Amino acid sequence: MIDAILESPYIDSLPTLFEGLKMTLLITISGLFLGFILGGIVGLGRLSNSKILRGLSTVYVEIVRGTPILAQVLFIYYGLTEDLIGISINALTAAIVAITINAAAYIAEIVRGAVYSIEKGQQEAGRSLGLTERQTMRYIIWPQAFKRMIPPLGNQFVISLKDTSLFSVIAVAEVLYMGKQYYNVTFEIFETLVMVCVLYLVITIPTSVYLRHLERKLDV
Amino acid sequence: MIEIKDLHKSFGDLEVLSGINAKINQKEVVCVIGPSGSGKSTLLRCLNLLEDVTSGQVLIDGVDLTDPATNINELRTNVGMVFQHFNLFPHKTVLENITLAPQKVKGLSFNEAKESALPLLDKVGLADKANAYPESLSGGQKQRVAIARALAMNPNIMLFDEPTSALDPELVGEVLQVMKDLAKEGMTMVVVTHEMGFAREVGDRVIFMDEGIIQEEGNPEQIFQDPQNSRTQSFLSKIL
Repeated sequence: MIDAILESPYIDSLPTLFEGLKMTLLITISGLFLGFILGGIVGLGRLSNSKILRGLSTVYVEIVRGTPILAQVLFIYYGLTEDLIGISINALTAAIVAITINAAAYIAEIVRGAVYSIEKGQQEAGRSLGLTERQTMRYIIWPQAFKRMIPPLGNQFVISLKDTSLFSVIAVAEVLYMGKQYYNVTFEIFETLVMVCVLYLVITIPTSVYLRHLERKLDV
Repeated sequence: MIEIKDLHKSFGDLEVLSGINAKINQKEVVCVIGPSGSGKSTLLRCLNLLEDVTSGQVLIDGVDLTDPATNINELRTNVGMVFQHFNLFPHKTVLENITLAPQKVKGLSFNEAKESALPLLDKVGLADKANAYPESLSGGQKQRVAIARALAMNPNIMLFDEPTSALDPELVGEVLQVMKDLAKEGMTMVVVTHEMGFAREVGDRVIFMDEGIIQEEGNPEQIFQDPQNSRTQSFLSKIL
């Protein structure tokens, strides 16, 4: 019985798929990390008093959210040729950049939404005590807004993780690509794709459960 | 002293204040009453520029708030405000709520700010709640913390925007008591309120507002016993 499971085509695919999973996580985590920094900056731009900064960041968010990530990554990888920009972009870089700019656009909206969700009275209480606008943001609004960002940021992690599967089109060796490579040799298409999905779920389900727990704990 | 000169305030096309003239003297307790939508809260919020003034002037101790050269943050330290919904900072303890502004605005150390905060907490009867978070307090306790927080900046003037309207009836008394004590100490107070008992007992003067103007003002006896204006009469007959 145990031998049957261990020698099943499901289990056989795992070593190959694990290689892909490492790549998937590398792209997701580095893309989200960079996306968080860029998204924070764009989000601040969306909240800025300056019309120019607000305009620029709004254009960024609208363009990125309004175009498919598949088109974006093809554009970055094939469209931005060495002739055009002076450096050649490898597939992994293109994938990380695509996740970064995408996550940044959504994170910018998470930042903006969280700040807007803080009751106006908090701002008023701070200002009525003589705090400047900047001090009010720093000591009163941000600490509260940041807490409210955590659940949607976790959600963004799940979305970005799944988005990386699109990068199989530019031959990034992420988990879905590795699965395709594997079943092209073994012809165990059904079993391999089941295991690909299982690997995604192994990460996404615990994340969702933890997020729900966190939401309750943070009471947001 | 507060001097309000021909104050107008519009939100878009809607004019909420249509020419307010008033003077509030030092150590005076002025209660502003009137039906909802009469502009009384807006008037109060113009006194520390939480609302921009459309036209007219507000002078506090001779300094014109509407002058762009006025340092509004500095001026606000002199004018405390208490809100209907308390607006305590939920991520900070009671003590941190009170000590934040003295530290960041006046540059006190935490210990200095704490030393002046503790007597204030004592004064509002919440010395034992210094390390509690706002969510664990009752509405009345929250509002008393909010009063202590405003007092921590050592203001000369306190503005109260319907401070008891969001409270359960049995909690109104404890907040009014703190306000009475403040009035007795000689604090200059402007109180927008529906508590006619408080206005009558503590107010030196009552201002009745409706439709964006002051319809009638006078000492409490006069306003409550013998109102001259027909709007005042009809308002008082509905609520008393």
